[in-house]
Amino acid sequence: MLKGSVMVTFPFDMKGSYMYFRILEKDQVSTFIEGLAHVYEVVAPVMRGGGYSFEQVRDGSEVELDYPLTIIPPKKYFVRPKECLFRYDSHSGALDETDHEVSPRVLFGVHACDINAILMTDKIFLGDYVDPYYKARRENTLIVGVSCMPIPTCMCNAWGTGEVSQGCDLFLTDLGDRYFVTCQSFEGAHILDTFAKTHEASAEDKQALEDHIREFSQAFREPVDTTQLQLLFDAKYNDPMWETIGDPCLSCGACSAVCPTCYCFDVVDELDADGVAGCRIRCWDSCLDSQFAEVAGGHDFRPTRASRVRYRFYHKFWAYPSRYGKMLCVGCGRCDVACKVDINPRRIVEALREGESK
Amino acid sequence: MRPTAVILSLASDYGCQVQISNFPEILEMLSTFDLGYWQFVSSGDMPDAYEVALIEGAVTTDEHVELLEKVRATASCVIALGACAATGGIPGLAIAGPVRGQLKEVYGSGEKKVGAGARKPAPISDYITVDFTIPGCPIDPAELSRVLQRAIRALVDTPQRQSMCGECKIAENMCFWLAGTPCLGMIARSGCNATCVSRGRPCTACRGIAQDANIESAYAFAAQNKCDADQFESLIKIYNAANEQATQKAVTSKKTAQEVVS
Repeated sequence: MLKGSVMVTFPFDMKGSYMYFRILEKDQVSTFIEGLAHVYEVVAPVMRGGGYSFEQVRDGSEVELDYPLTIIPPKKYFVRPKECLFRYDSHSGALDETDHEVSPRVLFGVHACDINAILMTDKIFLGDYVDPYYKARRENTLIVGVSCMPIPTCMCNAWGTGEVSQGCDLFLTDLGDRYFVTCQSFEGAHILDTFAKTHEASAEDKQALEDHIREFSQAFREPVDTTQLQLLFDAKYNDPMWETIGDPCLSCGACSAVCPTCYCFDVVDELDADGVAGCRIRCWDSCLDSQFAEVAGGHDFRPTRASRVRYRFYHKFWAYPSRYGKMLCVGCGRCDVACKVDINPRRIVEALREGESK
Repeated sequence: MRPTAVILSLASDYGCQVQISNFPEILEMLSTFDLGYWQFVSSGDMPDAYEVALIEGAVTTDEHVELLEKVRATASCVIALGACAATGGIPGLAIAGPVRGQLKEVYGSGEKKVGAGARKPAPISDYITVDFTIPGCPIDPAELSRVLQRAIRALVDTPQRQSMCGECKIAENMCFWLAGTPCLGMIARSGCNATCVSRGRPCTACRGIAQDANIESAYAFAAQNKCDADQFESLIKIYNAANEQATQKAVTSKKTAQEVVS
């Protein structure tokens, strides 16, 4: 792809990361997107049926960069909700992986929380056991981030996931009539220079960027205190709070479907009509499903709704951080919007803190 | 030798059989069977021996019960085909009874003749053991194909237990409840990829009530969202009147039992 083909040289800062700032006027965004669409599959937020979703776009005017939240996060472009991993023929033993879709793609207009979520799922799929399907897509995807303003369900301020120091190629900060563009990679700078008409950032633009960052951080509701969560979790593992919060769970799996950091999947075989050939399918799974922790013989490790809800947060607030040092939540608030019975991270954290003596 | 299959119908509108005939891939799948009888398209008699019986429709007469018992004694595999067979479906609406009174209201003096042997509508599993269920109104042809393949190879079919909202989110639909329109997704058996909601109609739980459904919590949510228990129950009853666990009576009695315990 474009790797190694960049001829531009950048000034480096003391830490060794490049600093390349440009201004992109808003009336130039469509041209930028349409230019990219000649070379890449461009995926951007669009309005569909009253909600926003990431979809492939060719027409820049369709793109809604000033959007509150998409229903499904960009994870669907790294692990598809349902995908055929390979086709097989049980008579000949032949495997066919040629169907594997890997097209160069630009995810355009991703919020900071979602970029941070991708960095978290990277740890899983590109860690000890590299997932070739995820890896192929990840390596072929450029990410253009965009700034946002919090809606009431947002809580990235609690996790520090409202900003990105890495994880995207370009980041666009909305300054009203223009975007302040921060290049975070050579590829990012390359696509910007090739497809967008930009100009230098003035001292005034840099001031406006600082103003935006301050305005963003002040726009949140009272942040929840997320310190020492693992200790609180241990202390309250058998607390009745889990029944209070978890018993009403509708076991619909909406929370895990919309969660940018929920990555559990199931693998099943689907046979063709002839019963000889078939497809090995991977699909998103949910730990809220009573089947999730059921094993051969019918024993279920988490037979109650409360135990399944607790498990979900146990994974996010205890297990993942104990291994990777970060909470497995970016505070995007999608689960808060999707859950009909108010099961969300903010409420869990508040309940964990209740009665705490400091 | 190919196994023999029969497709027969009890009380229904034959919609699921129409659905079968609409999809060439299903007909191809069915060609792996010796199709001994198909009520919708054949005029012959049922064969004496067959391995697989696909039954559409709800049980509403004595005759249906006799037929079912005979089929169960003959077939090694019985498949409930569509909402009417699986949950009682639309015919199940008449379950509120009394059956005689309803017949009189509809048929007047002809009631005795028309309604001979009439019974309270019920899903076929109320009378015989059902090996596989293909829910929905109408059925999803891909699901029928999958279940038939599993049936032939005597594999277990493990239907999804979750209710439908998760699938509906994956389909990136806005929630009907946010716009104040009641929808049964939160208790409906999933597996249809939220096909109705994706086409702009709320879910009616035509696939039945999900095994994992939290009925009590759903009634409470509905009530908080301006859909009282009577209204919510009437929506559930469109396809699930025979499901006693999904009625407000079940929810209230569960509550009373809890109150007694506490």
